[in-house]
Amino acid sequence: MSEAAMAVVKPEMKSYIWVQTVDGSIQQVEEEVAMFCPMICREILQTGMGSSKNYAISLPQRVNPAIFGLILDYCRFHQVPGRSNKERKTFDEKFIRMDTKKLCELTSAADSLQLKPLVDLTSRALARIIEGKTPEEIRETFHLPDDLTEEEKLEPLRNITDDPRIRLLNRLYARKRKELKERQKLKNVEVEEERVDERSVDDLLSFINGVDGDTKGARTNKNKKKNRRRKDNSRDPSSINANENLNKGLSALPPVCHNGAVDNVLGASTSNHSRNLTAVNFSPKLEFVDGDVDDDLDPAMKEELDREVEDFARRLNSDWPERMQEILSLGQERRLIPISMNGNGSTVAIVIGVEVIVIRSL
Amino acid sequence: MGDFGGPDLISDLPLSIVESILIQLPIRDAVRTSILSSKWRYKWNSITRLVIDEKCVPSCNDRTVVEKSLVKFINQLLFLHQGPIHKFQITNSYLQSCPEIDQWVLFLSRNDIKELVLELGEGEWFRIPSCLFNCKKLTRLELFRCELDPPLTFKGFMCLKSLILHQVLISPDAIESLISCCPLLESLSLSYFDSLALTIRAPNLRYLYLEGEFRDLCLEDTPLLVDISVAMYMTDDIAEHFEQSSNCNFFKFLGGVPNLERLVGHIYFTKYLSIGNDPGQLPLTYSNLETIELYQVSFEDMKEILVVLRLITSSPNLKELQISQGSSNIPTATDAPDLDFWRKECPSDCTLKKLKLVKLTDMCGVPHEMEFIKYLLGSSPVLETMSIMPCMYVMESQLKMLIELVKFRRASAQAEIIFVRD
Repeated sequence: MSEAAMAVVKPEMKSYIWVQTVDGSIQQVEEEVAMFCPMICREILQTGMGSSKNYAISLPQRVNPAIFGLILDYCRFHQVPGRSNKERKTFDEKFIRMDTKKLCELTSAADSLQLKPLVDLTSRALARIIEGKTPEEIRETFHLPDDLTEEEKLEPLRNITDDPRIRLLNRLYARKRKELKERQKLKNVEVEEERVDERSVDDLLSFINGVDGDTKGARTNKNKKKNRRRKDNSRDPSSINANENLNKGLSALPPVCHNGAVDNVLGASTSNHSRNLTAVNFSPKLEFVDGDVDDDLDPAMKEELDREVEDFARRLNSDWPERMQEILSLGQERRLIPISMNGNGSTVAIVIGVEVIVIRSL
Repeated sequence: MGDFGGPDLISDLPLSIVESILIQLPIRDAVRTSILSSKWRYKWNSITRLVIDEKCVPSCNDRTVVEKSLVKFINQLLFLHQGPIHKFQITNSYLQSCPEIDQWVLFLSRNDIKELVLELGEGEWFRIPSCLFNCKKLTRLELFRCELDPPLTFKGFMCLKSLILHQVLISPDAIESLISCCPLLESLSLSYFDSLALTIRAPNLRYLYLEGEFRDLCLEDTPLLVDISVAMYMTDDIAEHFEQSSNCNFFKFLGGVPNLERLVGHIYFTKYLSIGNDPGQLPLTYSNLETIELYQVSFEDMKEILVVLRLITSSPNLKELQISQGSSNIPTATDAPDLDFWRKECPSDCTLKKLKLVKLTDMCGVPHEMEFIKYLLGSSPVLETMSIMPCMYVMESQLKMLIELVKFRRASAQAEIIFVRD
């Protein structure tokens, strides 16, 4: 069918222009609607394209036929003069109700057609989707790969908050991965269990002390000795029991609490082991439970560990007050007295220790 | 770990879109996108608008804790940021004056800052560092509760279009020269200024908002003004000054604004305009003036009534008029007002051709009020609605008011009178 014939077929006196999408299909669009897109408008005015089928305007790659249909709907509505702001707003609100994938495509297409108001509208909608979501939820929504290590994820947080809790958590992650690696190796090569444990402990210690700088260096040896002794202790069934009690009690503690308060609750809830826990240096306690875990690690447990740590990270990422509530309510569930909070660097360290124990003991 | 089935929807969008998404997120959410994936690691770093609002760090009962974490947050934010920052806004009541502000402003002054808003908490006022005056590209500056002292070398903000100073301590000379040193200034808002005699010279000014105890207000070289809103407070000091003033305030303030579209005056504004010699018939016409709102007009002061009359009779296109009566003492009915005034001052030929809506509040029915209403009803051929809300203290005279109202001739057949009693 010739152009002239087409023109005759169209009953209205409207003028039309020809456009071609990336899949090669060519279609006619009302000129006044198409002109609403600055990119098409410029094409018509500057190059004179679009006047016939043979000179169709090629749309940018990012504009597929389905999305172009949507864009035309948008233009058709907004190019009509005299609509009230309220009408436009209502239209816009309805217009952006679509699945996320389409919304992303639409944003991209609108951008390539230089349709600024639509870019603003859709990117605002995307921002609404992101706002308030956890990183996991955002990743799921937009199919983002989770390709950062836990430390990398925490880096910006640490930079922003410089929170001792975060630093400690960082170390925890590093240690956990190292341990898992060690265990993997252990399984593969079937090395003697005891030896690997020893190495792991030393590595961890040097890691912790190394990272933390000189302040704790002096204590290293002492700690090591303590740790060995502890580990021996922990093989004793009775003391394991005590540990378990302790862990239950501790897990209910709020993450930030006053030193004294910790003492009290621990004293009330468990054995004298707890007093040791209130010491500022947390590392011996970490080792203290390590022994238990290392002895019998199965894949299911590993998974559990992963889950726990992730959960911990998630809670760290979320607001502290929320987290506080979460843990306080946990405490209430277990019928433990909620404890007044008081920000204090050293007590925080203990609490991280507590968290770690909780994770380990699961 | 990996994707959740399907290709990444958003990471490969053009940078401009990603930026557009990021700047619409609260700053906290924007920063947190850096832990999404490796592609998002540094995307937020180059956003050009940073808005620190109340929600950007979690609040808690201890103000100092919040303030500390805020300062840290902003420090790190700026430290991690890369490239130009066109808009920087702090609107956070937890933040108080702190030495870091100087560093932030210095940092911003080196990063192409165009819009700067600093609104800290109501503690000690902070002093704006002099490096602010090196921000040559500023188009919008909003400062709250601070001390401003332009250096001698300051030549002006050549691009500044909007200036808001709210409770800002600045010398009278400095404020005047600051205003006149911004040749493109379009919008100016000054509030809580004490005993300031201010002359504004701003050839491109279109919007003006003033609030405070002004001793004197003068508009010179402001031919483009379209919108004026003034709230004037009075102290004994200023009242005395007013008494002594002899030149005509009306002319000083409204003599050079032929393009005015909207005029709003609160508290002592009408009083201020009435001081000085009566201008007689105004030599100029406000042909664009469509809305006049004057609050707390005293209908016992003939000079104030005259100001209102001069204004409305010089505004042929006036559409909307709002007046509230503001005499503090309840009028005594025994007064014998000079009602000849109305015959003399109301030109019978002058009709308010476009006036559609009149709103009168706090009316107590004194003779001059009633004469004013009579005049409005008799000279407004297209009046649609006149709403009258009587003053709550004069219950007994309301009936009298109504009886009188019913009697008045109306130039507009459509005019609807709404008498609001609550």
